[in-house]
Amino acid sequence: MGFLREGVDDVRRTARGWRWGRRSQVPRSAEPYVEPVRAQVFGSDWARRRPALAAREVAQKVGLEPVFRSQVRTRVEGLDVLDRVEGPVIFVANHASHLDTPLLLLSLPDEWRRRTAVAAAADYFFDTWWRAVGSSLLFNTFPIDRRGGSMSATPGEVLADGWSLVIFPEGTRSGDGWMHTFRMGAAYLSHTHDVPIVPVAHRGTFAAMPRGAGWPGRDEGGRRQLTVRFGEPLRAREGETVRDYAPRVREAVAALLDEDSTTWWEAQRRRATGSTPDPGGPDVATWRRVWAQTESPAGDPPSGPRRRVWQR
Amino acid sequence: MTRPGFVLEVDDRTPPLVVHEGLGFRLEDFPLGTRVIYPPESLPGIADVEGAVREALLHPVDSDPLPERLFAGMRLTIAFDDVSLPLPSMRRPDIRQRIIEQVLTMAAEAGVDDVEIIAANALHRRMTAAELEHIVGERVFRSFHPQGKLYNFDAEDRDALTHLGTTDRGEDIEISKRAAESDLLVYVNVNLVAMDGGHKSVGIGLASYKSLRHHHNAHTMVHSRSFMDHQKSAMHQSAWRIGRVIKDTVPVFQVETTLNNDVFPRPYEFLMKREWEWSVRDQASMLAARRGLALAPQKLRHKLFHDLRAPYGLTGIAAGEVEAVHEQTLARVHRQQLVEVQGTSDVLVMGVPYLGPYNVDSSMNPVLATCMGLGYYFNSYRGHPVVRRGGAVILYHPLDEGFNQLHHPSYVDFYEEVLAETTDPAVIGEKYERQFAEDPWYRHLYRTSHAYHGVHPFYMWYWAAHAMDHVGDVIWVGGDRRAAARLGFRAASTLADALEMASGTVGTSPSITYLHNPPHLLADVRV
Repeated sequence: MGFLREGVDDVRRTARGWRWGRRSQVPRSAEPYVEPVRAQVFGSDWARRRPALAAREVAQKVGLEPVFRSQVRTRVEGLDVLDRVEGPVIFVANHASHLDTPLLLLSLPDEWRRRTAVAAAADYFFDTWWRAVGSSLLFNTFPIDRRGGSMSATPGEVLADGWSLVIFPEGTRSGDGWMHTFRMGAAYLSHTHDVPIVPVAHRGTFAAMPRGAGWPGRDEGGRRQLTVRFGEPLRAREGETVRDYAPRVREAVAALLDEDSTTWWEAQRRRATGSTPDPGGPDVATWRRVWAQTESPAGDPPSGPRRRVWQR
Repeated sequence: MTRPGFVLEVDDRTPPLVVHEGLGFRLEDFPLGTRVIYPPESLPGIADVEGAVREALLHPVDSDPLPERLFAGMRLTIAFDDVSLPLPSMRRPDIRQRIIEQVLTMAAEAGVDDVEIIAANALHRRMTAAELEHIVGERVFRSFHPQGKLYNFDAEDRDALTHLGTTDRGEDIEISKRAAESDLLVYVNVNLVAMDGGHKSVGIGLASYKSLRHHHNAHTMVHSRSFMDHQKSAMHQSAWRIGRVIKDTVPVFQVETTLNNDVFPRPYEFLMKREWEWSVRDQASMLAARRGLALAPQKLRHKLFHDLRAPYGLTGIAAGEVEAVHEQTLARVHRQQLVEVQGTSDVLVMGVPYLGPYNVDSSMNPVLATCMGLGYYFNSYRGHPVVRRGGAVILYHPLDEGFNQLHHPSYVDFYEEVLAETTDPAVIGEKYERQFAEDPWYRHLYRTSHAYHGVHPFYMWYWAAHAMDHVGDVIWVGGDRRAAARLGFRAASTLADALEMASGTVGTSPSITYLHNPPHLLADVRV
């Protein structure tokens, strides 16, 4: 009996230890070191050639814009700065939502929009061919590596070809709607290629379509308000290093956000005294930070009673 | 590509691990966080062994090529390591046979007539004719054994010994007369572990008790940290002093070989694999082996294990001047066996297998099991012992094999009389060693039968002296309680019980390291 029982015990223990019928496992400390796989990045050069341009024009004007405007209301300020600057430029904006890119692109005058490319995370937008083709065709995106590394087309080459760039220096969408630290890539590009940075601040995209949402939400049945404001172009000063220049870019965006929520004059005065509110938000509980950002900016006051085709 | 050794940390994904215990093995669930030291995988063996041997003999290190050192009318002696190496015995043809055949071919070409071949067994038992034949091969055996030119070294034959003087520390050097008076002594070694070879070959293998007692004692063993590292081993330092004197009088041509870790032949290959990589076939082999061994009577289990012949591959060979050759040899041994280990632990766990150097075709008696666990395995380190000072050692062995009356007669008396009195190696050596060493009956059995020398069990006990001095607790899992008590240790039925018993020494949540050998490994402990 002892022999049989021990035999059964052995089989049971083997079945349990070697996970019969299931996928076998390797102890964690014995797992082989695997070099991180460099995700395949699909090129986007084709997206800046003439046929793609034509296709994009149709896609944006016939597809994207009507849909976008049907879902959100927008208010655009400060576009006059573009009259005073020659392209290419680098548009640097805060990043809180997937709505940011269409908002920014569709706010630009057509001649600027057609010559603007958007830097998009290689690991997110260029990991599969269909995502790469889709985003390049619709938004003229090109891949940049958030972790550092070489890419098929560097932002510098795109700039050198005369394209303006949209760069979100935070590197990713904000999780709570507030602005986070800026990486130095945009300032570096502006510095090395001697191209002005046009700061752009927008509000309301987090409230309309935060991380995780697939479609813009509604505010009491109505379209959410988005605002976007373009600021005065910035250039690196004589002898200024990238390290000094980059914070100035962030301050410019912060001042624009302040201006957008108050007035130009108040924002200017606060900026002069260095008391521009921190765009990173107050140091309070996460829910309070998110709560504050879920409110859409106030829109234009409705002019007269809303007209409806069908009177109720 | 051969993977290096490594240290596993047991986690929830780790299957039960093999632990050897005498004529069998068990699967043990180690506590989470236990470190398990695995030896490097077996290195690829040299394909053209004959070519490698010829190359080594024709292009030796710090020596003229062998053919140039052979001449007609010379006295040539070939000595070779005895049956204690390698473990388990090697599949035919043994590497020593291949080397000796080439040496003899060159000697024949040079017209050498006076050749004797001596098994360097020191105080080990005399090998049987079959064992000699297994090592040197049929051709050599047939040509030399019937004429009495192939024989075991006899350390008690006063007429066949010569005293070469003493070292600067007063150590006697008494070795085989034939070897000492030869025009050339070719020593053919198998360097299985780092303690073998070098000046230990001639200086110990062909030496008598008078010479051996200077370094085979409790004092040198406690000061050998470890005896697997010849530079830090008091025993080796003594052997090196002796060897350097021998080198001045006797022209020695040392041939050293290293083997890979192919220890277990089919169908026991699973014992050399890392458990989580076992295929279904390996698991089935393990289950079949476990059930078969459980069913088999002790004699059959003994036969099953002791009939295993290892399919060792040759990893390298070097010939020439002893120390220069040995340096190359050690580098190769380390490449095959060294594993880097960070820090010591509170508890060291080791499974004592069925075989040690002194129980080939014999039984692993309790004294030999102690020597194997606390001697060889405990000392398988470089730098620091794997277990901290005052820690605990847990060994697996049933301690139930009894004594082989043919091979180990003096062990019986050592166990029954000496260990009953005291287990302290220093006291034992002081009080009883000379009596056993000079006992005429043991001498007679050593010289005419196949018995280990009367003093040999003392050496086994000295081998464990460093471990006994270093650790606070020794517990045998699955060991016979009476035998363990006689050895001065305790027995437990399971690992959990053993850890419970050790908690008085190392606390209730000690750090544990399990030495997963065989195959052989050498822990390079960094503190």
